[in-house]
Amino acid sequence: MPPHPRDPLNRRLFLQVAGLTTLTGLAAACGGERPGRRAAAASAVPLSRPTSPATLPLHADVPAVASGLEPEKGGTLKLLNYAEYISPDVCKAFGKEHGVEVEVTVFTTMDEMIAKLRTAGEGFDVCFPTPDVIAKAAVGKLLQPLNASYLPHLAGVWPQLRDPFYDKGSRYTVPYNAYTSGIGYRADRVKSLPSNGYDLLWDAAYKGKSYVIDDAREGLALAMLRNGVTDINTEDPAKIKQAGAWLAELIPRTGVKVGISAYQLVAEGQATVHHCWSGDMINAQAYLPKGVDAEVLGYWYPDASLGVVGTDTMAVPRNATKPVLAHMFIDHLLDPKVAEQNFSYTGYQPALTAITPEKMVTDGFVTEQLKSTIVTPDVYARSLQILQISPPAEALWNDAWAAFKAGR
Amino acid sequence: MRVTGRATARRGVARTGLWAALAAPGTLWLLALFAVPFYAVAAVAFGYTDPLFNAPIPEWDPRYWDVTTFGEVVQRSLTGDLRPVFLRTLLYVGVALTVCVLIGYPVAYYLARHAGRRKGLLLALVLAPWWINYITRMLAWLNLLQDDGYVNDLLMAGHLISEPVRWLSGNPYTVILALVYGYIPFFIVPLFSTLDRVDERLLEAARDLGCTGARAFWHVTLPLSRHGLMTAAAITALPMFGDYYTTTLVSGSPTTTMVGNQIEFYLLGGSRKELGASLVLILSALLMALMAYYLIATRRAERDLT
Repeated sequence: MPPHPRDPLNRRLFLQVAGLTTLTGLAAACGGERPGRRAAAASAVPLSRPTSPATLPLHADVPAVASGLEPEKGGTLKLLNYAEYISPDVCKAFGKEHGVEVEVTVFTTMDEMIAKLRTAGEGFDVCFPTPDVIAKAAVGKLLQPLNASYLPHLAGVWPQLRDPFYDKGSRYTVPYNAYTSGIGYRADRVKSLPSNGYDLLWDAAYKGKSYVIDDAREGLALAMLRNGVTDINTEDPAKIKQAGAWLAELIPRTGVKVGISAYQLVAEGQATVHHCWSGDMINAQAYLPKGVDAEVLGYWYPDASLGVVGTDTMAVPRNATKPVLAHMFIDHLLDPKVAEQNFSYTGYQPALTAITPEKMVTDGFVTEQLKSTIVTPDVYARSLQILQISPPAEALWNDAWAAFKAGR
Repeated sequence: MRVTGRATARRGVARTGLWAALAAPGTLWLLALFAVPFYAVAAVAFGYTDPLFNAPIPEWDPRYWDVTTFGEVVQRSLTGDLRPVFLRTLLYVGVALTVCVLIGYPVAYYLARHAGRRKGLLLALVLAPWWINYITRMLAWLNLLQDDGYVNDLLMAGHLISEPVRWLSGNPYTVILALVYGYIPFFIVPLFSTLDRVDERLLEAARDLGCTGARAFWHVTLPLSRHGLMTAAAITALPMFGDYYTTTLVSGSPTTTMVGNQIEFYLLGGSRKELGASLVLILSALLMALMAYYLIATRRAERDLT
């Protein structure tokens, strides 16, 4: 039988198109090294640790704002923050007092915040970085040094954070909030709390109802801490891989899911145990369905040094158009009264000595059961922190997490 | 005579470049919103990451493209941790498409042939879910499918199950169902427009020649609708392949991770954007191969008809 004239032609065309895509890859294989590409400034960024604090560099061309100036008038004070991470009422009141509009631009990741700070022509006045990106933001001249004379309320901040290891002398940042990463749970469904609360997530009794925070560092650190490994900033490939393997145990055992909506899932009961941030459980109180008592919410955080604490900070970007007002705004947020009002909106606790677990219970911020969500200077001192690591190590953490998420 | 006259006139206009000018906006659109971004993705995939700010630095000059990451991703897709993700995505989309055919074809067929005066209304109803935003619709499913939700209540009341089905606990059926639900109108509408144009007289002829209804469908309607069926499948499958939010919402479990989820992770969360960009290129290559097959198959289908 003679071949059908149509078929070979089409097959050929198909192969051509398919081959074209492969060819692109092959052609690319001929690529060479661009001269001078490897010149990298990464080594200039100090990796700060509590044991080896970093003093961030100052730059002659990035001066701090002079003391004793009048705040800028009119226009817009531009904040760069996570979504719903500052009280709109606090912003509005400040704006009214100083005759400005306070406008929040939101980001979802620190990478995105850095990208926004680097965008030319975007003059943000206050941003809210996490300690792990402060060093590179300072080295990369994205922030301006702070002038402490505008920040009298800094005295009310926890002593450790007035001179933190990630920014000795608070040159560029002041603390905003503190939180821990622990296990949120439904007290009405969890029969008994194991001595190692992390075991709740490994308990098959909560199959289909347990969640891990959807974040590479947090998730893998959880697996390490559950197994007593405290080296949560390790760059050792074997240790990172081991953490991934421990985490993967959860897939067959509990059908674990990943997410960052503990405040909603635990409150509504879709999750029985949820690896989460302390602020999630504080917020969960507002997400309880009608008729469900706040007593059903529980939060476990280890007594020993096997927990993760985190802080967020406030800084003034280099391109701020209202630097004096920006300082005043930061100081405003450090005022205990304002801070408490802000706390009641965000659910994340200001790192101020005026905020104690007892006061938060009596002020009705949290139930007695959720007292464990409040971070104290003692908790901060004994806890571990997720810190900046080198880019190659970060790639290892991400790949281990990606492998876990691929469901292998 | 008039026909030839018109043809000459058209050629005359063509010489003035009017037709080319009419195509210009589309060409510009395609260039600006597809070709340039696609090249940018390639430049990121073959570029490198700025170690200070963790930001991708695209390499625009192909002479300096660095393919090590791309090679790593290809290798991981073929033998490593990305392989199950690709296979799973193919499986989900394949099954979802089959379900789309099983549900969508009868609906489109009914709309085109038997809906009569209500055709317009019914077509509007097929598209009605689009009046509500995607997230809201999916959240409604979450309410229906949760362990003590209405779906389980109903199944329990009917004694079809003895304990609640864990629909939302990494259940692949739920993910497939959600994909079908999300995209099936895309499937029905193009199929409807093809079926609607099928000449009734061809079916009458088939009947006259002794075909039963079923045989007339098999030998006339189905071949005539092949083109529409493939267009519908292509329009539905392409967004399904890139979907990551559906599975995030209705499952969130690592056991139902799709390619889109890994792309999202590497592009939004990780420090290696070039890895995410490489994954985009591989997925695009896969989709391009499918599209090429689609173009060839539709051309063949058209030729079969003439």
